[in-house]
Amino acid sequence: MSKCMYVEALRMALREEMRRDKNVFVMGEDITRYGFGANRGLVDEFGAERVRNTPISEAAIIGSAVGAALRGMRPVAEIMFVDFIMIGMDQIVNQAAKMSYLSNGELSVPMVIRAPEGTEWFGGGAQHSQTLHSIFMNIPGIKLVIPSDPYDAKGLLKSAIRDDNPVLFFEHKQLYTQKGEVPEEDYTIPFGKAAIKREGEDLTLIATSWMVKHSLEVAEELKNEISIEVIDPRTLVPLDKDTIIKSVKKTGRLLVVDESPVNGGIQGEIISAVMEESFWNMEFPPKRIGSLNTPIPFSEYLEKEVIPTKEKIKKEILNIFSS
Amino acid sequence: MTISKDKKIRMFKTMSRIRTFEDRLQKIYRDGKLDGHLHTSHGQEAIATGVIEALSDQDIVFSNHRGHGHFLARGTSPRSIIAECYGKVTGTNKGRSGSMYIVDTKRVMPVASGIVGGNICVATGSALASHLKKDNAVTISFFGDGATNIGFFHESLNMASLWNLPIVYICENNQYGEATKREEHQKIEKISDRASAYSMPGVTIDGTDLMTVYESVKKVVDRAREGGGPALLECVVYRLRGHSAGDVGPYRPKKEEDEWNIKYDPIKKFKEELLEQKILNNQLVEEIEGEIEKEIEEAVNFALDSDAPIAETVSKYVYREEEDNE
Repeated sequence: MSKCMYVEALRMALREEMRRDKNVFVMGEDITRYGFGANRGLVDEFGAERVRNTPISEAAIIGSAVGAALRGMRPVAEIMFVDFIMIGMDQIVNQAAKMSYLSNGELSVPMVIRAPEGTEWFGGGAQHSQTLHSIFMNIPGIKLVIPSDPYDAKGLLKSAIRDDNPVLFFEHKQLYTQKGEVPEEDYTIPFGKAAIKREGEDLTLIATSWMVKHSLEVAEELKNEISIEVIDPRTLVPLDKDTIIKSVKKTGRLLVVDESPVNGGIQGEIISAVMEESFWNMEFPPKRIGSLNTPIPFSEYLEKEVIPTKEKIKKEILNIFSS
Repeated sequence: MTISKDKKIRMFKTMSRIRTFEDRLQKIYRDGKLDGHLHTSHGQEAIATGVIEALSDQDIVFSNHRGHGHFLARGTSPRSIIAECYGKVTGTNKGRSGSMYIVDTKRVMPVASGIVGGNICVATGSALASHLKKDNAVTISFFGDGATNIGFFHESLNMASLWNLPIVYICENNQYGEATKREEHQKIEKISDRASAYSMPGVTIDGTDLMTVYESVKKVVDRAREGGGPALLECVVYRLRGHSAGDVGPYRPKKEEDEWNIKYDPIKKFKEELLEQKILNNQLVEEIEGEIEKEIEEAVNFALDSDAPIAETVSKYVYREEEDNE
């Protein structure tokens, strides 16, 4: 076990899977020489055929990954910023997501699309900072993974590559340089298993991606007053409802924190799914935190008004326990 | 290129089968006995037939919303497509597709795309897989003139050319994108001219002439298979019917339709050729047409008699799970 950065954990997963299965290959814009660097260095071991720099053509990157996957390859396509995924949206929603269903399982699309999302003063503004994963939870046929630390990143990416379905794998930009313990040996983390990142008795705090770190810090700061259970679903599709419901039945209080805009976001979906089972266990109405229904503004001063922050999480928790 | 007599007769049968099949289906829709979207390929039968005949069994074919002909030419049974249009469990997709998203994995034809140009990127990826696996297969992407205006076309042809992928892009230029005449949706005279932007061969041919299609496709497919890279083949035809079953084409000049129907019906043309070459005679034609009529009639009855899909299975295979591999 050694400490490494989230981006290094991703690279370990890619390297191990490329060694394990010759059908795995990576492609994306400038992946050998620019960007956040998950693929950096792979070309030295695997060569330019399996580590492919592409033209700036998101539809063709995603669509060709779909086609290659249909033919038995296991492409891992990188989209430089999740915002650019919208150019290839048809290829995900109308093509990749439909192949298994329309062919009654005769065809499969074992592909992964990796993309960074979110912000916390990354300076990208409206078209380089969005959190878009909620959109995809509404598309049957796609799996959706958003790991929050290096250990999960490696184990989940390996599962994603081995999965027979199209998997969207979203990484928060702030996470890339975060460090954590990552085993050097092979391990996978199954989809649909939430991680209880901290046990507690008074409040179930569901947090995703970069929000997990904030939530854990708040839980630590408030530990003398409130016992907070922090759960990271890790995969949104499939979603581990059972772990969340069990926790809420114990605590009677629920707060969901995710960087998606709240309108139509996954926060509401998680709350609804939980309330159907545990409404009568509640001590306080369920609450959600997300971005405002506002594009991400460039200015640092404005951005923090729009996105969820540690302070906003803390304030909401204190509100839940104010009465 | 010498083509055997038997092969010519087989190709004539294929074209006739496509026509009879689509005539019959169109009638069923127009009589109000079936709902849904139905796009027939009247006038384009020589393309489907010539292209498929020029391929080997391992080659991959990506079809589109106007795709019955592609499937029938490759050997998908008329009864399974008609049953699909009726939403029955015996259909190609067990009722999940209807006419537009047919799949036939046995004939290496993945799901056809109902999104105009939607298969162009996916087909390019299939060629990328062949390139990586070195499996010697060539991929075909079928699309219409309308699809050449969508970004997928540009992104894919650029990528395929850059990576020298084994793919042939077949543009079935039927001169109408839905109800818009080609001159109103693009200014270029020849769609194949666009190939020069990607440094790949671009050829425009008479898509109503079966032998021309067959020979032209063979050339570019062989070239792709030998590592020569992609090509764009524009087959000029005329959509002899409307965009979809209910469309009688009020936006088209009657004179234009009549002229194409009389002069450029690919089946009529090929039949006359074969009669002239004494490969066919009137009696043989009658026999062939009679057999096909009977086959299609039986296909319709088969579809009508088939069971509906089981409701409980409706959400199966949204995802492929490990147990599906067993």
